[in-house]
Amino acid sequence: MTSKKDVLHVGIDLGTSRSAIAASNGTKHVVESYVGWPLDMVARKIVKKTILFGAEALEARSMLDLHRPLERGLIKQGSAKDEEAVHELLKHLIALAGRQEGQRVEAVVGVPAEALRVSRQHLRGAVKGIADALLIVSEPFAVAYGMDALLHTMVIDIGAGTTDFCVMNGRYPTEEDQRTLTHAGDSIDDQLMKLVKTKAPDGRFSIHMIREWKEKFSFVGDPKQPVVARFPVKGRPADVDITAEMKKACESIVGPIAETMLDLLSKVEPEYQEKVQRNVILAGGGSLIPGLAAALEKVLLEVGGGRVRAVEDPVFAGANGGLAIAIDAPEGEWEPLGA
Amino acid sequence: MASTGRLKQTLVRDAIRENVDVIEGRLPKGLRRSDRIRRAIFRASVFVIVPLALFLSINALTTGKGERTDVVFVSTPAAAPAPAAAVLHAPKGLEPSLFRLSVRSVVLDPGHGGTDPGASGVGGVREKDVTLDVATRVKALLEEGHLAVSMTRDGDTTLSLKDRVLLANAKRPDLFVSIHVNSLPSVRDKRVVETYVLGTTNDARVQALAGDENRESGYTLADYRRLLEGVLQDARSGESKRLAESVQGGLVIGLKRAVPRLEDHGVKEAPFVVLIATEMPGILAEVSTVSNDDEARRLKDSAYRQTIARALADGILAYAESRNHPPSKRS
Repeated sequence: MTSKKDVLHVGIDLGTSRSAIAASNGTKHVVESYVGWPLDMVARKIVKKTILFGAEALEARSMLDLHRPLERGLIKQGSAKDEEAVHELLKHLIALAGRQEGQRVEAVVGVPAEALRVSRQHLRGAVKGIADALLIVSEPFAVAYGMDALLHTMVIDIGAGTTDFCVMNGRYPTEEDQRTLTHAGDSIDDQLMKLVKTKAPDGRFSIHMIREWKEKFSFVGDPKQPVVARFPVKGRPADVDITAEMKKACESIVGPIAETMLDLLSKVEPEYQEKVQRNVILAGGGSLIPGLAAALEKVLLEVGGGRVRAVEDPVFAGANGGLAIAIDAPEGEWEPLGA
Repeated sequence: MASTGRLKQTLVRDAIRENVDVIEGRLPKGLRRSDRIRRAIFRASVFVIVPLALFLSINALTTGKGERTDVVFVSTPAAAPAPAAAVLHAPKGLEPSLFRLSVRSVVLDPGHGGTDPGASGVGGVREKDVTLDVATRVKALLEEGHLAVSMTRDGDTTLSLKDRVLLANAKRPDLFVSIHVNSLPSVRDKRVVETYVLGTTNDARVQALAGDENRESGYTLADYRRLLEGVLQDARSGESKRLAESVQGGLVIGLKRAVPRLEDHGVKEAPFVVLIATEMPGILAEVSTVSNDDEARRLKDSAYRQTIARALADGILAYAESRNHPPSKRS
């Protein structure tokens, strides 16, 4: 019989952009979802590692076979290297969590709300040999569980690859209670890339720079200050005002999110609809965009008003929820979930 | 507080049950009745179709006058008797236009369904709902045109691609039309229609699309190999292309009026499982692009879905007309 002490419970938010882990021993880590292998012997000598993760991998990207192995929150289809990268990323996260030798690992991993069964099976394959048992849940459900927001709540989890919606009605969410949209952080990046290219056709900047600007300066509504980005134009460093471009790119996700939120609300039992619209929770990296909650509240005025608030710790909300589920799952019930 | 604890226990148990269902390959609760129906159809196919095929094969071998049982559009064997060996091996280089062909029945396959929503767009539009609604409308329109129409699903049920193939082959229709909705998240401004026939492709986007649509096929790698070997130089390909061209033409003409910026991506080849394993001329039509926000909004409008259905049905009926009443070569 395994005692709780011999088990490390972990909750993992496996994200397209960042992956976070929260463990029952109190450790928490977040890693950018990049995995890189040195391109050749010379690169290996310089980086002094056989595999690099997260920001370290991104920094040394010119010397690496770099992979961002998750697409729309799932393992990319058809690439053995990406599957291997997810396996290595999970192994890295669990090592960071401080697994003791011989300690059993029971993991809960969040995936997009509408992830296919076959995608869940792929994930189960990637976890083989890393965790002893795996429970896969929808990411917004994990967030709701971690916050005890189980009744008359809508969670909107805005990640990099997907925005996931889940209405909690006091039951395990079915597909009717959930939606997944591909309007999310990456689609803001794509928009911003196009808009800045149009504004400065001779400018040189990468998608990584675009992501960095978005994370620092994103906003919806009125800007608090002008957004000025520095990048080479015709070979010389230049300061370019991209305030209008940033606004347009960030606001490109508001319409689709608002429409899907209203659509899901319309399907809630009429007597509970008002309660749900007063209890909309934003999670994920997108919840950090200033002005987004206010913009969605403005949309809710169309149906009598409501309240939209962001989670306090968007980076770890999913992982914390996963950990809470892992701890609450009765020990005997992990048996059939062997990875 | 105690009630929150009880609720959490129930939720965790339900999450575990759902995971165990996936591990053990069981459908989620509520969908299992359809599973039983599919098993019944499969059993029926084993006990009825296999003995029937064996009987016809033996008959053909002993008398030399049997009909081909695996090419469904040969309706008048007297016009061109097939050699006895054709019962066992697909003929190479068979030219279907030599036969007097007729199109009387169609199987429509609304893509995705049940636990597989397919692509989704703004406002909660899901591919599985659009394909079912459009297919139901196309069925009504084709029936007005005096075709017998069956569907692989008529509700929100989960079907693997193998299930779809089994259902279609069991019906022995003259044509198979799989209906899907495209998603192109990297080019959200595009609204595209395209139609696929079975073939190979080097186009990375088309490969990815085929990979997406082939997920949860229910076939093993060994099955794939056997299926691919079985369709090489198949007589269906020429007819499938003609059907695809007619349907693509119907879609473009029918939808351009409603969507002037619609892009015609033409007829393409891709290795979709439903086209490999079905035994009749077949196509896969991508009738809309849900990643485009304007298109996703319009897909919620029943009048627009009717326009799509009309365009698709026009393409199928035009092809059927060309087979049922071919223009005389002498005139």
